[in-house]
Amino acid sequence: MEKKMNFSIMKFFLCFFLLLTLSGCISAREINDLEIVIGMGVDKDENPGKILLTAQLVKEDTAGGASGDGSGGGDSKAYWNVSSSGKSIFDAVRQITHKTGNRLFISHNQAVIFGNDIAAEGLQEYIDYFLRAHEMRPTALILVAEEKASDILNIKPEAEEFPAFNIAKLVNSYVFTSHFYKVNMKDFASCLMGATTAQLAPLVSIIQDEDGKDIYVSGMAVFKNGKMVGKLHHDEVRGLLWVLGKVKSGVIIVSSPDEQGKAVLEIVKAKSKVTPEIEDGNIVMHIKIKEESSLSEQTTTENLADNKAFEKIQEASAEVIRQEIMAAFDISKEFNADIFGFSEMLHKKYSKEWKTIKDNWDVIYPTIELDIDIETKIIKTDLLKKPVMPSEEEN
Amino acid sequence: MFGYILKKIRYFSLKNKNEYMLQNTKPGKNNSEPISPYLEKNLEVIKGILRDCSDLTIHEFNFGRDRRFKGALIFINSMVDKEGIHKNILQPLMYDALLLQDNVDMDFTKIDTIRKNFISITDNLKVTLLSDLLDNLLAGASILLINGSKEALAIKSGKRESRSIEEPGTEAVVRGPREGFVENVKVNIALIRRKIKDTDLCVEKFVIGEKSKTDVYIVYIKNVANPKLVEEIRRRLKRIKTDAILESGYIEQFIEDSPYSIFPTISNSEKPDKVAAKILEGRAAILVDGTPFVLVVPMVFVESFQSVEDYYARPYLASIMRVIRFLSYIISTLGPAIYVALTVFHQELIPTQLLISIAEGRERVPFPAILEAFLMIFTFDILREAGVRLPKAVGQTVGIVGALVLGQASVEAGLISPIMVIVVSTTAIASFAVPAQTDSGTILRYIYLALAGIAGGFGIIMGLLATLLHLASLRSFGIPYLWPIVPLDFTGLKDVFIRMPLWTMSKRPKAIVWENYDSYNQSPGLMPSPYKKDKSDSK
Amino acid sequence: MSIEKGRISSQQLLFLIAGFVQGSVLLIDFTVGITEHQTWMVILAGLAVTAPVIFSYVALAKMFPGMNLVQINDMVYGRFLGKVLSIYYIFFFLMTLSFNIRDVGELYITFLMPDTPFIFLLIVFTATCAYAVTKGIEVLARVSHLFVVTGLLTIISTSTLLFDQMDFSNFLPFFELPFIRIFQGIHIVSIIPFGETVAFLMIMECLNKTERVVKNTFFGLLIGAVTLLIVAVRNTAVLGRTQTIWTAPSFQTIRLIDIGTVLTRMDFLIGIAQTILIFLKCSIFFYALVVALSQLFGLKSYLPLVLPIAGIEVIIAATVFQSPVDHAMITQNAGIIYSAPLIFVFPPLSLLIAKIRGLPKCERGKET
Repeated sequence: MEKKMNFSIMKFFLCFFLLLTLSGCISAREINDLEIVIGMGVDKDENPGKILLTAQLVKEDTAGGASGDGSGGGDSKAYWNVSSSGKSIFDAVRQITHKTGNRLFISHNQAVIFGNDIAAEGLQEYIDYFLRAHEMRPTALILVAEEKASDILNIKPEAEEFPAFNIAKLVNSYVFTSHFYKVNMKDFASCLMGATTAQLAPLVSIIQDEDGKDIYVSGMAVFKNGKMVGKLHHDEVRGLLWVLGKVKSGVIIVSSPDEQGKAVLEIVKAKSKVTPEIEDGNIVMHIKIKEESSLSEQTTTENLADNKAFEKIQEASAEVIRQEIMAAFDISKEFNADIFGFSEMLHKKYSKEWKTIKDNWDVIYPTIELDIDIETKIIKTDLLKKPVMPSEEEN
Repeated sequence: MFGYILKKIRYFSLKNKNEYMLQNTKPGKNNSEPISPYLEKNLEVIKGILRDCSDLTIHEFNFGRDRRFKGALIFINSMVDKEGIHKNILQPLMYDALLLQDNVDMDFTKIDTIRKNFISITDNLKVTLLSDLLDNLLAGASILLINGSKEALAIKSGKRESRSIEEPGTEAVVRGPREGFVENVKVNIALIRRKIKDTDLCVEKFVIGEKSKTDVYIVYIKNVANPKLVEEIRRRLKRIKTDAILESGYIEQFIEDSPYSIFPTISNSEKPDKVAAKILEGRAAILVDGTPFVLVVPMVFVESFQSVEDYYARPYLASIMRVIRFLSYIISTLGPAIYVALTVFHQELIPTQLLISIAEGRERVPFPAILEAFLMIFTFDILREAGVRLPKAVGQTVGIVGALVLGQASVEAGLISPIMVIVVSTTAIASFAVPAQTDSGTILRYIYLALAGIAGGFGIIMGLLATLLHLASLRSFGIPYLWPIVPLDFTGLKDVFIRMPLWTMSKRPKAIVWENYDSYNQSPGLMPSPYKKDKSDSK
Repeated sequence: MSIEKGRISSQQLLFLIAGFVQGSVLLIDFTVGITEHQTWMVILAGLAVTAPVIFSYVALAKMFPGMNLVQINDMVYGRFLGKVLSIYYIFFFLMTLSFNIRDVGELYITFLMPDTPFIFLLIVFTATCAYAVTKGIEVLARVSHLFVVTGLLTIISTSTLLFDQMDFSNFLPFFELPFIRIFQGIHIVSIIPFGETVAFLMIMECLNKTERVVKNTFFGLLIGAVTLLIVAVRNTAVLGRTQTIWTAPSFQTIRLIDIGTVLTRMDFLIGIAQTILIFLKCSIFFYALVVALSQLFGLKSYLPLVLPIAGIEVIIAATVFQSPVDHAMITQNAGIIYSAPLIFVFPPLSLLIAKIRGLPKCERGKET
């Protein structure tokens, strides 16, 4: 008993001694020495073979302005962008320390924006660092700029303090329109790993107006084997999302049954089911979509809130959806990029046939037929049950 | 090297033991000789032993028929009730005995005769040894010596100043009895007896301390407490050989299971209702004369998180409070450590906006976070210590100066970041929620902080694991310290994180009442229900 | 006679085994690279293959009550051969323990604290394990249920938080990989989490009652296997194809948790859970190792061995592999070969020989 006690005391002393002696070698990073990166942009440098990395850092002394004292200047920005060129991304990340004095701290990076030129050349060789570095999180968003990524990071938004947060917010707003969707590092990597699937990333661009410059998400960039091959516009993206079942919300405009005005529907719920089928060598994708919407606006005096009108509107909206899907499919055939992931679905269902299909997928893809079955439903009319119009007696 | 140091320590402790043994066997220390029948001789001996005691009174008198008997009354005049002595001892002997009729010839050299016929104080006993005589004398008794008798009578005529029963300062309750123990152990036993009027309630007395001769009592219920537990307490109490027991803390340190542990394995309380409840569960209380703090053994860790009020209030809020107490203990030990680990090692785990605002607050702070945390906790402990020792009015000033002026000023001066002030004050407040574990909480806070500063989250996890293993290996009088969590006991869990309604807890704690663990403390199925109407009631 | 005086109940054995198997959560990543999205069936198959062998351990322990593996070896194979076999087992314990210690170090060095010296992590971790071992198996067994519950809670809660990111079509097509890879996967799984339970032959001597051991061992294995299964399913469903590229898929999975930007950055959860589970596993191995060694050397107590063995373990763990790649390669290829006979051949063989020679009966008669 006593011996046991002594033994543990001895160990305690030993442990503590070791801890104390070793503590000197551990490098802890004080929080105010961190260069917190909230956004990154990758562009091509003027020098061939080099890239230009732009990092958006938080300026800690002016951020928030909550501390009050000292920094009163209204025009002082809470962030600063610093760029450096390098032969690879990591090279550039380390080169930046020449300007910042500290290592970059990338764990809080919200988004990585690739410039147009880099995207066209191919992301395959640049994405590795963003997945491998332990500070990078797989949830960081990936975006493509229509011009240069550094320009996007330079535009100070009106309402937000940090451009990077603003961009993240914009991308997350896809749930309201389904005109694009967010893609993070892990999703992009997952798509890159499929031999036949195409990759997509939201496309951000700058619009110039009298007040200044603003950023908006203009659609999605389509990649094939990591190289950007084209762009999907808002409606085409929604066509894609219908098939993937990822439509969260959005607006469908159809003309009213009397052709006098428009009926505007808001998508409440959408579901999809895709079943691939191989019939005598032809590949048919059976797409079944169930959609529910609410009547959110109407620009005609006709009372749309009755079953007959509903039926017509439902049909019309189904047609809109079908057109959106076909538009997306047509453009994907144009790029010959499997944005829908049809190849994966075939792989999962027909794993034997897949081996032969896989090798000449590029030839097969344009020949795929779509069999679209759409079921739409209007489930509510919101606050009004009749439109605003003079009562019928007066008419 | 450590082996060498340990050897040295062992050597010195053995050496001290030998010296102690030698010293104790010196002659003249023990007065175990019998009382002689000659009064003169006895008085001489007593005077010789107590020659420097100016408060010793020896009253010699003659009494009985023709005043032919000689006697002496010896007492320490500062400790006795003189009026009582005159009225109840001297008057009956010196005057009332004269009124006896001639034919009743009593032999006043027989101490029993006097005791039965004249002494109206009930609390008296015969002593035959000189050492017993002295012990009783010094404990406040008056000693009646009769010439020709080999026995003396020790009459407990002492008076004792006692504080009145007040509400204890440490364990205040909103609902529940307000009485608290006092310094007088007799009063304390009475307080417990008033709660448990049972024939099985045992009160065993020990006298511990070579010089202090302190009365120590073990109180338990015979058929509920484990006999092995009581035997173990007796054994441990008997091996205490020390000069004085001034407070129950002395006893605690001599009998606890793991003297090296920072966790207390013996609980204490000032409240009779709490002690009574624990005795009823099968524990034993150790009462020490001279202190209102009563020890209760065995103690389990979760007891620290239980309050008497939990059982007086209805179960719902009581259960929430339990959980809050557990959380408070976790916050109070781990709060600063987690803050340091997060801000120094794992910044990626802090939400982005929070990170930015923490970074802002720390922008002008010149110290590393670990030093900042140490400074703050240290200051808090200084403030607490200063506040406790000072009179109440001044203590409040210390609090105001410490909390408001110092905190505010150091934040404004940029010495401390505001978030650190928040973290440390939360920690400080949380540490008051579990008073029973204040010691361990404070020490662990420093240990975890050091570990977090050295190795971040890894250090904290390793620290927690080591603490858990240590706690799991602790025992308090044979009961695993973490019972009922480790080892797992589902019936015991009724009263840990949540407090089940009283009518569901119909069995006594299994681990504590080991012998007859199936004994019920109430009949099962006491769930109140309005439909079970008593028929005799109706009219 | 016996070195350990502590006694454990068969319920505690259940939790020890469950925690021990759970401790390999990090190690199924070895298999993922080989078996990809079919890992879940590999785990089930591994359990099915190993369960009979593990029951032979239990039968062995029941046949020789109060005796540990070294004593059993001595008795079954004779003084010399038994000693040789015991040294083989000790080598296995020694190496497996150092691999596991290294795993913790790699986990922290890769994900949580990349700037910390590797050796420092190893020393602190091994010291804590050593502390646990000095407390004896009884304390470890008593707290084991806390570890198991924490591990299960973490894994279930993270799975719930990730539910909306799961894509169950990632498991299709069911049978795609060539059988040889599945076989390799089963081999790894049957040895690394399940077969390593052979270390419990050093612990089962402490059982106070041997009545419900079979049942409890089975449930322990089941809890462990279910945990592994949940983790494998979670990783595959969330990560899909990418699960093969990460150094630690489980860790990446947790990093993907993002619910309303509030419940995010939960890395610490998996950090805590995996650390304590591997801690339990390492402590059990450490215990088995020191008890086996002291039995071999005929010591009365294993305590004097704890500190030197801890030192040796740290040195082996720090130097045995040059990188995680090396680690994975050797474990996948060499590790499972040399440990296979210890797990699959010798315990059933001992059982057979003991049955034929009618061993424990006469020996027991002699002793009592």
